[in-house]
Amino acid sequence: MSNNILYIEDNPDNMRLVQRALESRGYHLLQAKNGLLGVQMAESESVDLILLDINLPDIDGYEVARRLRASSKRQLALTPIIAVTANALKGDAEKALEAGCDVYMSKPINIRELWARVEAFVPTP
Amino acid sequence: MTSSFLSHLECSGCSEKFAHAEIQTFCPICQSPLLCRYDLKPVSQSVDRNEITHRKKGMWRWHELLPVINTENQIFLGEGDTPLLSLPHLEKELGLFNLLVKDESSNPTGSFKARGLAAAISKAKELGVEKVIIPTAGNAGGAMAAYAARAGLRAYIFMPKDTPFANIEESRMAGAEVILVDGLISDAAGMAGIKAREEGWFDVSTFKEPYRVEGKKVMGYELAESFDWQLPDVIIYPTGGGTGLVGMWKAFDELEALGWLENKKRPRMVSVQADGCAPVVKAFNQGASFCDFWLNAHTIASGLRVPKSFADHIILKDIYESQGTAIAVSDETILESQRQLAAMEGIFAAPEGAATLAALKELIKQGWLQPEERIVLFNTGSGLKYLEYPNQE
Repeated sequence: MSNNILYIEDNPDNMRLVQRALESRGYHLLQAKNGLLGVQMAESESVDLILLDINLPDIDGYEVARRLRASSKRQLALTPIIAVTANALKGDAEKALEAGCDVYMSKPINIRELWARVEAFVPTP
Repeated sequence: MTSSFLSHLECSGCSEKFAHAEIQTFCPICQSPLLCRYDLKPVSQSVDRNEITHRKKGMWRWHELLPVINTENQIFLGEGDTPLLSLPHLEKELGLFNLLVKDESSNPTGSFKARGLAAAISKAKELGVEKVIIPTAGNAGGAMAAYAARAGLRAYIFMPKDTPFANIEESRMAGAEVILVDGLISDAAGMAGIKAREEGWFDVSTFKEPYRVEGKKVMGYELAESFDWQLPDVIIYPTGGGTGLVGMWKAFDELEALGWLENKKRPRMVSVQADGCAPVVKAFNQGASFCDFWLNAHTIASGLRVPKSFADHIILKDIYESQGTAIAVSDETILESQRQLAAMEGIFAAPEGAATLAALKELIKQGWLQPEERIVLFNTGSGLKYLEYPNQE
């Protein structure tokens, strides 16, 4: 079984932290620095789960989630999406779930919680 | 003068150690809260628990077990040593024999938040911090503003716009800059975090610095002292961010390690939330280790409108360990209990405090409590700060 996690995140500190955390558990992290690149990578690569920041520099995470769910790559309609955000705006969590995300996590990301939530969808390799 | 036996800070998640002489927030490795650890052996050898009882009243009489190193940095406004009151009329009404309330409304700024902010602001001052920022559902903002004023620090506060007027006004009176947010405390937290990062303000959000929980834990010391160094059977506690619950459990661990408790019997910890925002209750019922973010959080008890605590995993661990429970109550039963506490016992409780009575009644119905057990409710603040709510029509 594959173990590719795509993280769409523009903040390099968060990217490094999550990379270290997930790779320590044997996952392979694919990295996208903005929303459009994230959609492109999700459509072109084999991805088992997507971690999605909401506050992205081009299209926001809600739009990314909507595009992923509507993608012609049918598998993306079912790929788990975990939204991750600093919830700086009202109703971020509600909007993320409405846009098609499965789970919402607020920053700072607790690594143990991240492991647990990722493992719930993609068993540890 | 050196007054603390603080040894180091330790991550509650990965156990990594950090120096207390530097400004710390949360664990940079696993992003869990940091907790203070003390050299308890020398404390047990050099401090007599009964001597503490005879010191000048207030939270700082426990200074060996608090994080401020130099006594000159202790900011004191009279916090701590709140009364543990019997509830004779409610006992009779509910068929109980040992029902008490720890009434935190007599703290400075009218709530238990004074304890945590006294510790956090004192430590911030000691570490050379000059400006502090907080997201708050209300009372923590008022407390931070007061202690920051006393310490000579600048204060910046993000509050939901429907925060009780008293909290907004007391914060502004104390010189804090107050920003009203169209959202919940989680939204305020996001904004405060951004401002803290961009402008170098020190963020004293719940569990995002290591010291508020130290002030709150003193509630546990005081309970042990009040019960002659034993602990009650059940503690019913309202849970928003969970600092008090986590703090008391930490206090019990420390007291046990010090050998100051008469026996090893611990209380069952009951976490009370409102049914419009009950992430801990939901997680507890599922046997989970973390909470899901609670959607569309709503309750009149503004201190309970916390969709997900940063320390959710510690709260849940402590409840499980104590063989306690978590229970959600409706706003209607909170208001009814608030009236009952005032009319029967003369205690005008905050809605969060009244929620503990509502929970008690439900637990009696469920048969979860025995009538003879020593039960402590926590009233976390004064009802006078919530005068715009329906009970005060």
